[in-house]
Amino acid sequence: MGFLAAGIGAGIVALGAGIGIGMIGKSATESIARQPEASGDIRGAMILTAAFIEGVALLGAVVCILLALGIGQ
Amino acid sequence: MVQTLRRVFLTLLFLSISTSNIFAADASEQEDGQILDVMGTVADHDYMKTPFGKIYLPRIFYWEDASGETGLSAYASTKSALESGVFAENEEGAIVPAGGGQVKVDLSITSHLVFFWIGMGLAVFITVMAAGRYKKGIGKSVEPQGAFQNIFEVLFVFVRDDIARDNIDKHKADRYVPYLFTMFMGITFMNLFGLVPWAATATADLTVTATLATVTFFVTQFSGTKDHWAHVFMFPGVPGWVRFILTPVEILGLFTKPFALAIRLFANMLSGKIMIIAILGLVFIFADLLGAVAGYGVSIFSVSLTVVLYALKAFVALLQAYIFALLSAVFIGMAAESHEHDEEGYRTEHIAEEVSAN
Repeated sequence: MGFLAAGIGAGIVALGAGIGIGMIGKSATESIARQPEASGDIRGAMILTAAFIEGVALLGAVVCILLALGIGQ
Repeated sequence: MVQTLRRVFLTLLFLSISTSNIFAADASEQEDGQILDVMGTVADHDYMKTPFGKIYLPRIFYWEDASGETGLSAYASTKSALESGVFAENEEGAIVPAGGGQVKVDLSITSHLVFFWIGMGLAVFITVMAAGRYKKGIGKSVEPQGAFQNIFEVLFVFVRDDIARDNIDKHKADRYVPYLFTMFMGITFMNLFGLVPWAATATADLTVTATLATVTFFVTQFSGTKDHWAHVFMFPGVPGWVRFILTPVEILGLFTKPFALAIRLFANMLSGKIMIIAILGLVFIFADLLGAVAGYGVSIFSVSLTVVLYALKAFVALLQAYIFALLSAVFIGMAAESHEHDEEGYRTEHIAEEVSAN
């Protein structure tokens, strides 16, 4: 049961993080294309926002690892 | 220069391949039914691995025995603690006082702690080295000389300009540069030690990252201005009843920021290690299922993928150190900001004053 939960959970986590970071990448590349001289600032903001999303996603991933290893049962 | 770089790269490539084999050898040593012990490879240990065997580290216990008496005792290793007869191992493998009771605080020196010290020590060491050179005038009156000082200056200026001054109020930014630089270099070294054979990744341990995040938490709170606390307890410009919702959320927000900081670094470093072990584990799984030939076949794919993952891990090690320092700077900047010039109420009041004065 724990393995099933971990597998489904990891999938959903990857889905959410993928959509989030994909949207950041999309708008960042669009902004750089529109305003190449601001690419440095945009890259900084991109990494920062991606880090926030990644933090939430990794929180989910840690829960999945704990479920898969059966810690806390 | 190019040749030196190529030599370094080839050495790293060789090391990464040989390390995979070391991990694999360790993994196959497990004999308790499981092929791979994933957590054992990333967990904290009471010994340090070296090419010549294990070095056992001192154990320090703050204990309470059955009669309620407390005390502090130190032993050279787990073995000597057990041999002294004062401590015994219980069914779960934990160390307890032999006559009943419990170990209240385990202050033992572990492999992660040692690498934490090495990482932070190296960060301090290179800074002191470089400071000595600047004191002599090299780099101040003349150009910085040598690869060491040039690399140091690039890193330091990067932390100062791109991390501190970009995110913290410019009058206060320089005060936080030493802290941010220590964190950046310390975490970089700790992360990179995870790529060295026999070493351990200290940052793949939640206690280490939580300690670092706690330091950031205190630095953030102690640099908080009046405006920061006003925003936490009395959010300006909202109706009174909204504050009943907003104040708890803001207070919670003070703690979630360092919490996320700790989890992010920990999970990134841990997932990198687990990923490598899992991909190398495919070799043993296939060898177990389909025989040794399948194992050899998969190892070509597995080991080459691990080499790529090693390069990725080296990049992630630097990126996570950068993100930790950057987010620390952002949080400190948010707390240390004075809002006087941005506050809506303030501006309208002053415009009104100026208008009436004229």
